Amino acid sequence: MSMDKVQIPWTDSDGKPGFWGALHSLPRRVYHSVFRSRPIPANDLERSQAVAANFFFHLHSAKVQERTLRFKTTLGLGLLSLYTFVILVVTGILLMFYYVPTPVEAYDRMLDLRGAVFFGTFLRNLHRWSAHAMVGLVFLHLMRVFLTGAHKAPREFNWMVGIVLFLLTLLLSFTGYLLPWDQLAFWAIVVGTSIASYAPVVGDELRYVLLGGDSVGAEALLRFYVLHVAVLPVVLTTLIGLHFWRIRKDGGLAKPREK
Amino acid sequence: MLEDKPTYERFPIRPGKTYGLMCVVPTATEATKIETEKQVHAWPAALTRELALFVLTLVILSVVALLFNAPLEEPASRLHPPNPAKAPWYFLGLQEMVAYSAFWGGIGIPGLLVLLALAAPYLERKPGGEGVWFHSSRSAANWVFLGIVGTLLVLTAIGTFFRGENWAFVVPW
Repeated sequence: MSMDKVQIPWTDSDGKPGFWGALHSLPRRVYHSVFRSRPIPANDLERSQAVAANFFFHLHSAKVQERTLRFKTTLGLGLLSLYTFVILVVTGILLMFYYVPTPVEAYDRMLDLRGAVFFGTFLRNLHRWSAHAMVGLVFLHLMRVFLTGAHKAPREFNWMVGIVLFLLTLLLSFTGYLLPWDQLAFWAIVVGTSIASYAPVVGDELRYVLLGGDSVGAEALLRFYVLHVAVLPVVLTTLIGLHFWRIRKDGGLAKPREK
Repeated sequence: MLEDKPTYERFPIRPGKTYGLMCVVPTATEATKIETEKQVHAWPAALTRELALFVLTLVILSVVALLFNAPLEEPASRLHPPNPAKAPWYFLGLQEMVAYSAFWGGIGIPGLLVLLALAAPYLERKPGGEGVWFHSSRSAANWVFLGIVGTLLVLTAIGTFFRGENWAFVVPW
Protein backbone atom coordinates (compact mmCIF):
# COMPACT_ATOMS: atom_id res chain seq x y z
CA MET A 1 0.00 0.00 0.00
CA SER A 2 3.00 2.29 0.28
CA MET A 3 3.94 4.66 -2.46
CA ASP A 4 7.59 3.54 -2.71
CA LYS A 5 6.56 0.55 -4.85
CA VAL A 6 5.67 2.82 -7.75
CA GLN A 7 7.93 2.08 -10.69
CA ILE A 8 9.61 5.05 -12.31
CA PRO A 9 8.59 5.23 -15.98
CA TRP A 10 11.16 4.04 -18.51
CA THR A 11 13.11 1.84 -16.15
CA ASP A 12 13.17 -1.94 -16.46
CA SER A 13 11.81 -4.15 -13.70
CA ASP A 14 15.14 -4.04 -11.84
CA GLY A 15 14.93 -0.27 -11.71
CA LYS A 16 17.73 0.20 -14.25
CA PRO A 17 16.96 2.54 -17.12
CA GLY A 18 17.57 1.38 -20.66
CA PHE A 19 15.96 1.32 -24.07
CA TRP A 20 15.74 -2.46 -24.43
CA GLY A 21 14.52 -2.88 -20.91
CA ALA A 22 11.80 -0.35 -21.54
CA LEU A 23 10.87 -2.01 -24.80
CA HIS A 24 10.79 -5.39 -23.08
CA SER A 25 8.39 -4.20 -20.41
CA LEU A 26 6.17 -2.21 -22.80
CA PRO A 27 3.55 -4.94 -23.44
CA ARG A 28 3.25 -5.56 -19.72
CA ARG A 29 2.87 -1.85 -19.00
CA VAL A 30 0.17 -1.52 -21.62
CA TYR A 31 -1.64 -4.62 -20.37
CA HIS A 32 -1.62 -3.55 -16.75
CA SER A 33 -2.67 -0.01 -17.61
CA VAL A 34 -5.84 -1.51 -19.07
CA PHE A 35 -6.44 -4.47 -16.74
CA ARG A 36 -5.72 -4.27 -13.05
CA SER A 37 -5.57 -8.03 -12.65
CA ARG A 38 -3.79 -10.90 -14.38
CA PRO A 39 -5.60 -12.77 -17.18
CA ILE A 40 -6.02 -15.89 -15.03
CA PRO A 41 -6.30 -14.97 -11.34
CA ALA A 42 -4.16 -17.21 -9.15
CA ASN A 43 -5.74 -16.82 -5.72
CA ASP A 44 -8.96 -15.70 -4.05
CA LEU A 45 -7.81 -12.11 -3.64
CA GLU A 46 -7.08 -11.86 -7.35
CA ARG A 47 -10.35 -13.59 -8.23
CA SER A 48 -12.16 -10.92 -6.23
CA GLN A 49 -10.19 -8.17 -7.90
CA ALA A 50 -10.82 -9.64 -11.34
CA VAL A 51 -14.52 -8.94 -10.75
CA ALA A 52 -14.38 -5.74 -8.73
CA ALA A 53 -11.76 -4.02 -10.92
CA ASN A 54 -13.44 -4.73 -14.26
CA PHE A 55 -16.04 -2.29 -15.56
CA PHE A 56 -18.04 -5.03 -17.28
CA PHE A 57 -17.91 -7.48 -14.36
CA HIS A 58 -18.26 -5.14 -11.41
CA LEU A 59 -22.03 -5.38 -11.21
CA HIS A 60 -21.39 -8.84 -9.80
CA SER A 61 -20.39 -9.20 -6.18
CA ALA A 62 -16.97 -10.81 -5.75
CA LYS A 63 -18.68 -13.91 -4.37
CA VAL A 64 -22.15 -15.20 -5.20
CA GLN A 65 -24.47 -17.64 -3.45
CA GLU A 66 -23.96 -21.04 -5.00
CA ARG A 67 -27.75 -21.37 -4.93
CA THR A 68 -28.27 -18.45 -7.32
CA LEU A 69 -26.11 -20.15 -9.95
CA ARG A 70 -28.25 -23.29 -10.04
CA PHE A 71 -30.35 -23.31 -13.19
CA LYS A 72 -33.54 -24.14 -11.29
CA THR A 73 -33.33 -20.94 -9.24
CA THR A 74 -33.96 -18.52 -12.13
CA LEU A 75 -34.01 -20.71 -15.28
CA GLY A 76 -31.58 -18.06 -16.57
CA LEU A 77 -34.54 -16.02 -17.82
CA GLY A 78 -33.29 -12.57 -16.81
CA LEU A 79 -29.95 -13.15 -18.52
CA LEU A 80 -31.69 -14.60 -21.58
CA SER A 81 -33.81 -11.43 -21.78
CA LEU A 82 -30.66 -9.31 -21.62
CA TYR A 83 -28.90 -11.42 -24.24
CA THR A 84 -31.74 -11.16 -26.74
CA PHE A 85 -31.66 -7.39 -26.18
CA VAL A 86 -27.90 -7.31 -26.85
CA ILE A 87 -28.39 -9.30 -30.07
CA LEU A 88 -31.20 -6.91 -31.03
CA VAL A 89 -29.02 -3.85 -30.48
CA VAL A 90 -26.18 -5.24 -32.60
CA THR A 91 -28.38 -6.51 -35.45
CA GLY A 92 -30.55 -3.39 -35.18
CA ILE A 93 -27.58 -1.06 -35.64
CA LEU A 94 -26.43 -3.07 -38.66
CA LEU A 95 -29.95 -2.88 -40.14
CA MET A 96 -29.94 0.90 -39.61
CA PHE A 97 -27.14 1.16 -42.19
CA TYR A 98 -29.58 -0.07 -44.84
CA TYR A 99 -32.95 1.19 -43.71
CA VAL A 100 -34.68 4.43 -44.78
CA PRO A 101 -37.82 5.35 -42.81
CA THR A 102 -39.98 6.68 -45.66
CA PRO A 103 -43.00 5.00 -47.28
CA VAL A 104 -41.31 5.25 -50.69
CA GLU A 105 -38.05 3.60 -49.66
CA ALA A 106 -38.77 1.36 -46.66
CA TYR A 107 -40.21 -1.63 -48.51
CA ASP A 108 -37.55 -1.48 -51.25
CA ARG A 109 -34.93 -1.63 -48.53
CA MET A 110 -36.54 -4.84 -47.25
CA LEU A 111 -36.19 -6.29 -50.75
CA ASP A 112 -32.57 -5.08 -50.84
CA LEU A 113 -31.89 -6.84 -47.54
CA ARG A 114 -33.19 -10.01 -49.13
CA GLY A 115 -31.52 -9.70 -52.50
CA ALA A 116 -28.57 -7.33 -52.45
CA VAL A 117 -27.12 -7.11 -48.94
CA PHE A 118 -24.54 -9.70 -47.88
CA PHE A 119 -26.16 -11.78 -45.10
CA GLY A 120 -29.11 -9.33 -45.24
CA THR A 121 -31.76 -12.04 -44.94
CA PHE A 122 -29.95 -13.59 -41.98
CA LEU A 123 -29.59 -10.18 -40.32
CA ARG A 124 -33.29 -9.40 -40.62
CA ASN A 125 -34.31 -12.92 -39.57
CA LEU A 126 -32.08 -12.78 -36.49
CA HIS A 127 -33.47 -9.36 -35.52
CA ARG A 128 -37.08 -10.44 -35.98
CA TRP A 129 -36.87 -13.79 -34.17
CA SER A 130 -34.81 -12.28 -31.36
CA ALA A 131 -37.50 -9.61 -30.92
CA HIS A 132 -40.24 -12.23 -30.60
CA ALA A 133 -38.00 -14.23 -28.26
CA MET A 134 -37.37 -11.17 -26.09
CA VAL A 135 -41.09 -10.47 -25.62
CA GLY A 136 -41.62 -14.08 -24.56
CA LEU A 137 -38.52 -14.31 -22.36
CA VAL A 138 -39.20 -11.06 -20.51
CA PHE A 139 -42.71 -12.28 -19.74
CA LEU A 140 -41.41 -15.68 -18.59
CA HIS A 141 -38.89 -13.85 -16.39
CA LEU A 142 -41.76 -11.83 -14.90
CA MET A 143 -43.61 -15.10 -14.20
CA ARG A 144 -40.51 -16.64 -12.59
CA VAL A 145 -40.08 -13.66 -10.27
CA PHE A 146 -43.71 -13.77 -9.13
CA LEU A 147 -43.92 -17.54 -8.72
CA THR A 148 -40.77 -17.54 -6.55
CA GLY A 149 -42.07 -14.64 -4.44
CA ALA A 150 -39.08 -12.53 -5.49
CA HIS A 151 -41.24 -9.42 -5.99
CA LYS A 152 -41.97 -9.09 -2.26
CA ALA A 153 -40.25 -6.74 0.18
CA PRO A 154 -37.55 -5.51 -0.02
CA ARG A 155 -37.71 -5.90 -3.82
CA GLU A 156 -41.00 -4.07 -4.51
CA PHE A 157 -39.35 -1.20 -6.38
CA ASN A 158 -37.29 -3.47 -8.61
CA TRP A 159 -40.45 -5.41 -9.43
CA MET A 160 -42.08 -2.17 -10.58
CA VAL A 161 -39.02 -1.31 -12.68
CA GLY A 162 -39.38 -4.78 -14.17
CA ILE A 163 -43.04 -4.18 -15.06
CA VAL A 164 -42.04 -0.95 -16.81
CA LEU A 165 -39.27 -2.83 -18.64
CA PHE A 166 -41.84 -5.36 -19.84
CA LEU A 167 -44.13 -2.60 -21.15
CA LEU A 168 -41.15 -0.93 -22.86
CA THR A 169 -40.27 -4.26 -24.48
CA LEU A 170 -43.79 -4.46 -25.91
CA LEU A 171 -43.53 -0.88 -27.18
CA LEU A 172 -40.14 -1.54 -28.76
CA SER A 173 -41.49 -4.59 -30.53
CA PHE A 174 -44.63 -2.73 -31.61
CA THR A 175 -42.75 0.29 -33.02
CA GLY A 176 -40.39 -2.03 -34.89
CA TYR A 177 -43.32 -3.96 -36.32
CA LEU A 178 -44.28 -1.07 -38.64
CA LEU A 179 -40.85 -0.50 -40.16
CA PRO A 180 -40.90 -3.13 -42.99
CA TRP A 181 -43.92 -1.19 -44.36
CA ASP A 182 -45.60 -4.27 -45.81
CA GLN A 183 -49.26 -5.22 -45.50
CA LEU A 184 -48.62 -7.20 -42.30
CA ALA A 185 -46.84 -4.24 -40.66
CA PHE A 186 -49.21 -1.53 -41.87
CA TRP A 187 -52.49 -3.13 -40.82
CA ALA A 188 -51.16 -4.44 -37.52
CA ILE A 189 -50.27 -0.87 -36.57
CA VAL A 190 -53.65 0.43 -37.87
CA VAL A 191 -55.37 -2.07 -35.56
CA GLY A 192 -52.96 -1.58 -32.66
CA THR A 193 -53.10 2.20 -32.62
CA SER A 194 -56.88 2.22 -32.97
CA ILE A 195 -56.92 0.60 -29.51
CA ALA A 196 -55.22 3.76 -28.17
CA SER A 197 -58.13 5.85 -29.47
CA TYR A 198 -60.53 3.98 -27.15
CA ALA A 199 -58.98 5.79 -24.17
CA PRO A 200 -61.53 8.15 -22.60
CA VAL A 201 -61.34 11.91 -23.30
CA VAL A 202 -57.84 11.95 -24.82
CA GLY A 203 -58.09 8.80 -26.97
CA ASP A 204 -58.15 10.46 -30.37
CA GLU A 205 -55.49 12.97 -29.36
CA LEU A 206 -53.30 10.13 -28.08
CA ARG A 207 -53.57 8.34 -31.40
CA TYR A 208 -52.90 11.59 -33.28
CA VAL A 209 -49.69 12.19 -31.31
CA LEU A 210 -48.58 8.59 -31.81
CA LEU A 211 -49.17 8.67 -35.58
CA GLY A 212 -48.40 12.30 -36.31
CA GLY A 213 -51.74 12.46 -38.11
CA ASP A 214 -55.14 10.86 -38.40
CA SER A 215 -53.90 7.77 -40.22
CA VAL A 216 -50.81 5.58 -40.53
CA GLY A 217 -48.58 7.40 -43.04
CA ALA A 218 -45.17 8.93 -43.54
CA GLU A 219 -45.25 10.81 -40.22
CA ALA A 220 -46.22 7.67 -38.31
CA LEU A 221 -43.37 5.72 -39.92
CA LEU A 222 -40.87 8.42 -38.96
CA ARG A 223 -42.20 8.62 -35.38
CA PHE A 224 -42.15 4.86 -34.90
CA TYR A 225 -38.62 4.76 -36.34
CA VAL A 226 -37.28 7.43 -33.97
CA LEU A 227 -39.00 5.79 -31.00
CA HIS A 228 -37.69 2.39 -32.07
CA VAL A 229 -34.03 3.22 -32.72
CA ALA A 230 -33.38 6.10 -30.31
CA VAL A 231 -35.89 6.95 -27.59
CA LEU A 232 -37.05 3.55 -26.37
CA PRO A 233 -33.62 1.80 -26.49
CA VAL A 234 -32.04 4.61 -24.44
CA VAL A 235 -34.84 4.50 -21.85
CA LEU A 236 -34.74 0.70 -21.76
CA THR A 237 -30.95 0.57 -21.38
CA THR A 238 -31.05 3.10 -18.54
CA LEU A 239 -33.75 1.18 -16.69
CA ILE A 240 -31.88 -2.12 -17.23
CA GLY A 241 -28.92 -0.49 -15.45
CA LEU A 242 -31.19 0.56 -12.58
CA HIS A 243 -32.76 -2.93 -12.50
CA PHE A 244 -29.35 -4.66 -12.17
CA TRP A 245 -28.05 -2.14 -9.62
CA ARG A 246 -31.11 -2.70 -7.45
CA ILE A 247 -30.56 -6.47 -7.47
CA ARG A 248 -27.31 -5.85 -5.58
CA LYS A 249 -28.76 -3.14 -3.34
CA ASP A 250 -31.71 -5.32 -2.40
CA GLY A 251 -29.36 -8.08 -1.23
CA GLY A 252 -29.03 -10.24 -4.33
CA LEU A 253 -31.58 -12.75 -5.55
CA ALA A 254 -34.46 -13.58 -3.23
CA LYS A 255 -33.36 -16.37 -0.93
CA PRO A 256 -35.33 -18.85 1.15
CA ARG A 257 -35.73 -18.04 4.82
CA GLU A 258 -33.86 -20.06 7.45
CA LYS A 259 -35.91 -22.95 8.72
CA MET B 1 5.01 -12.19 -19.64
CA LEU B 2 1.49 -11.02 -18.85
CA GLU B 3 1.51 -13.34 -15.86
CA ASP B 4 3.92 -10.94 -14.17
CA LYS B 5 2.36 -8.82 -11.49
CA PRO B 6 2.61 -5.09 -11.97
CA THR B 7 5.19 -3.58 -9.70
CA TYR B 8 3.02 -0.58 -8.82
CA GLU B 9 -0.16 -0.45 -6.79
CA ARG B 10 -3.23 -1.57 -8.75
CA PHE B 11 -5.41 1.08 -7.16
CA PRO B 12 -3.30 3.91 -5.75
CA ILE B 13 -4.69 5.15 -2.45
CA ARG B 14 -5.17 8.90 -2.27
CA PRO B 15 -2.93 9.99 0.62
CA GLY B 16 -5.47 12.51 1.89
CA LYS B 17 -8.27 9.96 2.18
CA THR B 18 -8.48 8.53 5.68
CA TYR B 19 -11.52 6.25 5.46
CA GLY B 20 -12.92 3.37 3.41
CA LEU B 21 -16.54 3.10 2.38
CA MET B 22 -17.41 0.55 5.07
CA CYS B 23 -16.30 2.99 7.78
CA VAL B 24 -19.17 5.36 7.06
CA VAL B 25 -21.84 2.65 7.16
CA PRO B 26 -23.13 2.46 10.74
CA THR B 27 -24.65 -1.05 10.57
CA ALA B 28 -24.30 -4.27 8.65
CA THR B 29 -25.89 -4.14 5.20
CA GLU B 30 -28.92 -6.14 4.25
CA ALA B 31 -26.76 -8.72 2.51
CA THR B 32 -24.04 -9.19 5.12
CA LYS B 33 -26.16 -9.89 8.17
CA ILE B 34 -27.76 -12.98 6.66
CA GLU B 35 -24.74 -14.61 5.06
CA THR B 36 -24.61 -18.28 5.95
CA GLU B 37 -25.12 -20.06 2.65
CA LYS B 38 -22.34 -21.52 0.59
CA GLN B 39 -20.69 -18.93 -1.65
CA VAL B 40 -18.43 -19.26 -4.66
CA HIS B 41 -16.27 -16.72 -6.44
CA ALA B 42 -18.05 -14.92 -9.26
CA TRP B 43 -14.86 -15.46 -11.23
CA PRO B 44 -14.96 -18.02 -12.72
CA ALA B 45 -18.17 -19.74 -11.49
CA ALA B 46 -20.72 -17.07 -12.50
CA LEU B 47 -18.88 -15.54 -15.44
CA THR B 48 -18.28 -18.82 -17.28
CA ARG B 49 -21.92 -19.81 -16.86
CA GLU B 50 -23.05 -16.42 -18.16
CA LEU B 51 -20.74 -16.68 -21.17
CA ALA B 52 -21.94 -20.21 -21.91
CA LEU B 53 -25.58 -19.07 -21.77
CA PHE B 54 -24.86 -16.20 -24.16
CA VAL B 55 -23.14 -18.49 -26.67
CA LEU B 56 -26.09 -20.90 -26.42
CA THR B 57 -28.59 -18.05 -26.97
CA LEU B 58 -26.69 -16.75 -29.98
CA VAL B 59 -26.33 -20.23 -31.52
CA ILE B 60 -30.00 -21.15 -31.08
CA LEU B 61 -31.28 -17.82 -32.46
CA SER B 62 -28.80 -18.02 -35.36
CA VAL B 63 -30.01 -21.50 -36.28
CA VAL B 64 -33.62 -20.28 -36.14
CA ALA B 65 -32.64 -17.29 -38.33
CA LEU B 66 -30.99 -19.61 -40.85
CA LEU B 67 -33.97 -21.97 -41.01
CA PHE B 68 -36.95 -19.61 -40.94
CA ASN B 69 -37.36 -16.42 -42.93
CA ALA B 70 -39.01 -13.37 -41.40
CA PRO B 71 -42.35 -12.71 -43.10
CA LEU B 72 -42.55 -10.04 -45.78
CA GLU B 73 -45.89 -9.48 -47.46
CA GLU B 74 -46.94 -7.17 -50.31
CA PRO B 75 -46.05 -3.46 -49.94
CA ALA B 76 -48.35 -1.56 -47.58
CA SER B 77 -51.50 -0.31 -49.26
CA ARG B 78 -54.35 1.45 -47.50
CA LEU B 79 -56.63 0.46 -50.42
CA HIS B 80 -56.38 -3.26 -49.67
CA PRO B 81 -57.22 -3.94 -46.03
CA PRO B 82 -56.80 -7.62 -45.13
CA ASN B 83 -59.75 -9.33 -43.46
CA PRO B 84 -59.19 -9.73 -40.62
CA ALA B 85 -56.42 -7.21 -39.89
CA LYS B 86 -54.56 -8.46 -36.85
CA ALA B 87 -52.28 -6.70 -34.34
CA PRO B 88 -48.91 -8.30 -33.43
CA TRP B 89 -49.44 -11.61 -31.61
CA TYR B 90 -48.75 -10.20 -28.12
CA PHE B 91 -51.64 -7.73 -28.56
CA LEU B 92 -54.11 -10.28 -29.95
CA GLY B 93 -55.41 -10.93 -26.43
CA LEU B 94 -56.27 -7.23 -26.27
CA GLN B 95 -57.78 -7.30 -29.76
CA GLU B 96 -59.91 -10.28 -28.75
CA MET B 97 -61.17 -8.36 -25.70
CA VAL B 98 -61.75 -5.26 -27.87
CA ALA B 99 -64.15 -7.38 -29.94
CA TYR B 100 -66.39 -7.53 -26.85
CA SER B 101 -65.90 -3.99 -25.55
CA ALA B 102 -63.69 -1.32 -27.11
CA PHE B 103 -63.03 0.59 -23.89
CA TRP B 104 -62.84 -2.27 -21.39
CA GLY B 105 -60.97 -4.59 -23.74
CA GLY B 106 -58.43 -2.09 -25.05
CA ILE B 107 -57.98 0.34 -22.16
CA GLY B 108 -59.89 -0.53 -18.99
CA ILE B 109 -58.85 -4.12 -18.30
CA PRO B 110 -55.24 -3.77 -19.55
CA GLY B 111 -54.86 -0.60 -17.48
CA LEU B 112 -56.21 -2.29 -14.36
CA LEU B 113 -53.92 -5.30 -14.94
CA VAL B 114 -50.87 -3.02 -15.16
CA LEU B 115 -51.91 -1.22 -11.96
CA LEU B 116 -52.52 -4.57 -10.26
CA ALA B 117 -49.07 -5.79 -11.34
CA LEU B 118 -47.39 -2.62 -10.05
CA ALA B 119 -49.26 -2.88 -6.75
CA ALA B 120 -48.74 -6.65 -6.29
CA PRO B 121 -45.81 -6.52 -3.82
CA TYR B 122 -47.65 -3.91 -1.72
CA LEU B 123 -50.87 -5.95 -1.66
CA GLU B 124 -49.08 -9.17 -0.77
CA ARG B 125 -47.55 -7.90 2.45
CA LYS B 126 -47.16 -11.08 4.50
CA PRO B 127 -43.50 -12.09 4.40
CA GLY B 128 -42.51 -15.66 3.54
CA GLY B 129 -41.98 -17.89 0.54
CA GLU B 130 -39.27 -15.74 -1.04
CA GLY B 131 -36.91 -17.57 -3.36
CA VAL B 132 -38.99 -20.77 -3.40
CA TRP B 133 -41.01 -21.98 -6.39
CA PHE B 134 -44.76 -22.31 -5.61
CA HIS B 135 -44.28 -21.92 -1.87
CA SER B 136 -47.33 -23.29 -0.03
CA SER B 137 -47.79 -20.08 2.00
CA ARG B 138 -48.27 -18.15 -1.27
CA SER B 139 -50.59 -20.51 -3.10
CA ALA B 140 -53.52 -18.04 -3.15
CA ALA B 141 -51.41 -15.29 -4.76
CA ASN B 142 -49.90 -17.76 -7.21
CA TRP B 143 -53.31 -19.09 -8.27
CA VAL B 144 -54.65 -15.57 -8.87
CA PHE B 145 -51.52 -14.78 -10.90
CA LEU B 146 -51.66 -17.99 -12.91
CA GLY B 147 -55.40 -17.48 -13.47
CA ILE B 148 -54.79 -14.05 -15.01
CA VAL B 149 -51.84 -15.28 -17.10
CA GLY B 150 -53.83 -18.31 -18.26
CA THR B 151 -56.79 -16.16 -19.27
CA LEU B 152 -54.54 -13.82 -21.25
CA LEU B 153 -52.88 -16.80 -22.97
CA VAL B 154 -56.25 -18.30 -23.91
CA LEU B 155 -57.48 -14.95 -25.27
CA THR B 156 -54.23 -14.53 -27.23
CA ALA B 157 -54.53 -18.05 -28.64
CA ILE B 158 -58.15 -17.40 -29.68
CA GLY B 159 -57.18 -14.12 -31.34
CA THR B 160 -54.24 -15.74 -33.10
CA PHE B 161 -55.69 -19.04 -34.33
CA PHE B 162 -59.46 -18.96 -34.05
CA ARG B 163 -60.45 -15.66 -35.63
CA GLY B 164 -61.14 -15.31 -39.36
CA GLU B 165 -63.02 -12.94 -41.63
CA ASN B 166 -64.88 -10.17 -39.77
CA TRP B 167 -63.44 -11.61 -36.55
CA ALA B 168 -65.78 -14.60 -36.79
CA PHE B 169 -64.85 -17.72 -34.84
CA VAL B 170 -63.11 -20.21 -37.11
CA VAL B 171 -61.41 -23.53 -36.49
CA PRO B 172 -57.87 -23.52 -37.89
CA TRP B 173 -57.93 -27.18 -38.99
